[in-house]
Amino acid sequence: MENLRLIINGEEVEALIDPATTLQQFLHNTLGMTGTKEGCGAGLCGCCTVMVDGKAVKSCLILALQVGGKSVQTIEGLAHEDVLDPVQSAFIENGAIQCGFCSPGMIMASKALLKENPHPVENDVRHALSGNLCRCTGYHKIVKAVLSVGERQ
Amino acid sequence: MSSKKEYQYIGKSIYNVNAIAKATGRAKYCSDMQLAGMLYAKVKRSPYPHARIVSIDTSKAERLPGVKAVIIGDEKTCPARFGAGVADEYVLARGKVLYVGDPVAAVAAESEQIAEEAVDLIEVEYEDLPAIFDGEEAFKQNPPVVLHEDLKRYNTLRSVPPRLDENRPNVFNYFRIRRRDVENGFKEADLVFENRFETAMIHHVQMEPHCGVAMVDDSGRLVVWGTSSKPYGMHRDISESRNLPPSAVRVIIPTHVGGAFGGREPKAEQIAASLALGQKGYPKRPVRMWFTREEQLSTTTTRAHYIVDIKTGVRKDGTIVANKMRLLLVGGAYAGTGYLTARNAAFGPAANYKTDHFSLDAYGVYTNQRMAGAYRGFGNAESLWGMESQMDIIAEALKIDPLEFRLKNCTDEGDLNAFGEKMHSVGAKECLHAAAKLIEWGKKTKGSEPHLKRGKGIALGNKYSIVPTASAAIIKVHPDGMVELRTSTVEIGQGSSTIFSQMIAEEFKIPVSKVRVLNPDTDITPFDLGTASSRSTFNMGNAIIKASADAKRQLFELAAKELKANPDDLETADSKVFVKGSPDRSLHIKDLFIPMVIGGYTLKEGAEIIGKATYYLPGVIPDPETGHSERPASFYMFVAQAAEVEVDVQTGKIRVVKIVTANDCGKAINPMTVEGQQEGGVLSMGIGSTLLEEVITDNGVMLNPQFADYKIPTTLDCPTLENYKSAIIETAHREGPWGAKGVGEGTMVCSAPAIANAIYDAIGIRFHEIPITPEKVLRALKKI
Repeated sequence: MENLRLIINGEEVEALIDPATTLQQFLHNTLGMTGTKEGCGAGLCGCCTVMVDGKAVKSCLILALQVGGKSVQTIEGLAHEDVLDPVQSAFIENGAIQCGFCSPGMIMASKALLKENPHPVENDVRHALSGNLCRCTGYHKIVKAVLSVGERQ
Repeated sequence: MSSKKEYQYIGKSIYNVNAIAKATGRAKYCSDMQLAGMLYAKVKRSPYPHARIVSIDTSKAERLPGVKAVIIGDEKTCPARFGAGVADEYVLARGKVLYVGDPVAAVAAESEQIAEEAVDLIEVEYEDLPAIFDGEEAFKQNPPVVLHEDLKRYNTLRSVPPRLDENRPNVFNYFRIRRRDVENGFKEADLVFENRFETAMIHHVQMEPHCGVAMVDDSGRLVVWGTSSKPYGMHRDISESRNLPPSAVRVIIPTHVGGAFGGREPKAEQIAASLALGQKGYPKRPVRMWFTREEQLSTTTTRAHYIVDIKTGVRKDGTIVANKMRLLLVGGAYAGTGYLTARNAAFGPAANYKTDHFSLDAYGVYTNQRMAGAYRGFGNAESLWGMESQMDIIAEALKIDPLEFRLKNCTDEGDLNAFGEKMHSVGAKECLHAAAKLIEWGKKTKGSEPHLKRGKGIALGNKYSIVPTASAAIIKVHPDGMVELRTSTVEIGQGSSTIFSQMIAEEFKIPVSKVRVLNPDTDITPFDLGTASSRSTFNMGNAIIKASADAKRQLFELAAKELKANPDDLETADSKVFVKGSPDRSLHIKDLFIPMVIGGYTLKEGAEIIGKATYYLPGVIPDPETGHSERPASFYMFVAQAAEVEVDVQTGKIRVVKIVTANDCGKAINPMTVEGQQEGGVLSMGIGSTLLEEVITDNGVMLNPQFADYKIPTTLDCPTLENYKSAIIETAHREGPWGAKGVGEGTMVCSAPAIANAIYDAIGIRFHEIPITPEKVLRALKKI
């Protein structure tokens, strides 16, 4: 077992973990932060996307110990109590959420894009989200939602 | 015939009622469940496509520390076979394995790692048997391999019985239609066209992997949570396969399920249940069986490889006079829902066009692959892939515009379809006109470079919804005015909870926030046939209207006494009951309840305000010889789609430049939700199944069981926002709630032919198999 210290959604977290634990497993199974989903375990679907020091990371591809000392933001930390983040609101208002299993990862990937590029054009959005799979929506309303945030800010 | 009446909630694009939970990561799925003392399961699967199980040695696995249960397919664990229409499957294989991945044993342990280690320690000795993968070979009268020697002795479903074929031992269902005399029809025709079309095996790729959690409660009852879209089907499978009385099993589906699209056969749930029961002594701990993405892609239900033979006779003026089809669903080792898919693939071709002489033979056949069954469209995307490609071949030969040809022959209100049923609520023409307008039919465009060839294509489709069918709804009016719906419809992302909330809001004149929809639980929510066949809006919608009326009748009877009025003169709105025309003679619903000492509320009589109702539509089962039926389906959703593609003749790459869809849903209860269905159906599954997706196997082993190799569309495979257009056509159905029918499956039943017809327009090559990959394009262009 190894000692891990990191910041999650602004709070310091310390835990003794099996070094083989991925960040996704640590968040989902150990901490019960079940918003970070496992969709493939191979970094190919994007359901487990979180932000590490402001950058989108597929948390199934990284060991929890690798983010020691870093700041992780998950979907649970995006809204402040009941005040939603603009990306969350845009997803809801545009009907970009169906089954919702990809939504946390999709929203985190969108958040990371908008942080880097506050006013993306459609092509930017499509490229930034090309590693996040969704089977329900055909991405149409997702792309619309992300663009609407860019236009508003 | 579209309904123009304005409603308060019906027809409004309100936000999905679950969207906040989902957008914030708070939504709990089955795969997020944690129960105290929960064990983790892993499955030992067959590496052979067909083999006799000689022996299984589990002793080493059982001795591994942390292992709590090891089960195999024996009399104790798997006493009976189960299946949707043909009871041909055990939870774990008994006697022989029939496909690569067939479960032979399972382990529950303290962790997934221990369970996995234990699975490796199980030793199975097999005797290899010859396997069969080729559908035509399996279909033969004396096939080289027979999968189910005892097929004739299996139990079958009584309500829609499968029909076996005396002479073809691998056929698990046969369905036929005979309308007039098709051979005479060909004699009447000026031209006859005969072609074969095929579709590859594909997977639903629901984003949430299959998952089941099971436990034995303190009374000894089996409680199973799962991701099935048919809670009562899962309930039946679990009780039947263990010879348990139905009341000994409770099935719960969480509020959120990560997609279904027809493919949620409850195998993970079944194995979890067996491991919950299979632990020695007490306590019996809860078990979680979660399939990895590889397991999901390589062992769970698929959309079958389909072979569609079609022979069509036409007159020179473009009238279709005769159509003869043979549909072959190349199924898997077990029939599953495929038994019904094999039959119902006939419905799309039977209802698309007026055809004097029609003959159809549809078969489902066993092969040594995993089960092929329900998939959005239920066989009709496959049968219409053939029919709608054929239509363009004919239109070209007759030098008739493909749109005109379809408009001339498509069914309309009052026409007889091939079943002999008088069609009602047919939006075919409106859909065709709308799609043609959106794609700018007739207007040619060019690629930016000489090697980029552009073309446009159009196709017409329809999707029936199943009979016999039934949905039940229970509606409880709470003292605080909250109206609760108990329904076994599963919210798989399609938005059922949202539209049901709108329906109840409309009936009770309350905001949607005052409606609550419970998740399916066979102890609490009443029967529903299943979240399948695009049937929930129509069936559950009707049940909701009837149950609302029942609840309101009770409410008004109670209030009438207080208001000294006639119950027939009462109305409700904003959680109040009032006399029609005299809103001041009113009371709040809470005033009917008496707050009691110690707590709670009571009614003076009747316990609770609970409305309940069943919507039941038996239909008429088609005649086994002729397929004749006056009501073989509850309704038909029509759809027309058109595509513009660009084919790079240097690389073979096909880009869908633009795609449009027009769907006749009767009435859009929530247009935003209908759009969501259209977008997912066309952009993800339509484009994916046509251009990208294929389960590739070698000797029964899937070679591409991960997203790196099994490609579903990404954001980059879909046309830009400006180049995707949709139209909602509202051809009201006289029996539909507010005129509504359904939408989900109609959205991809003609995407493939629309795209393929566009490819033909671009490069003059007719493809007969999907997916149409760059490799196939280059081969056809003789570049490789």
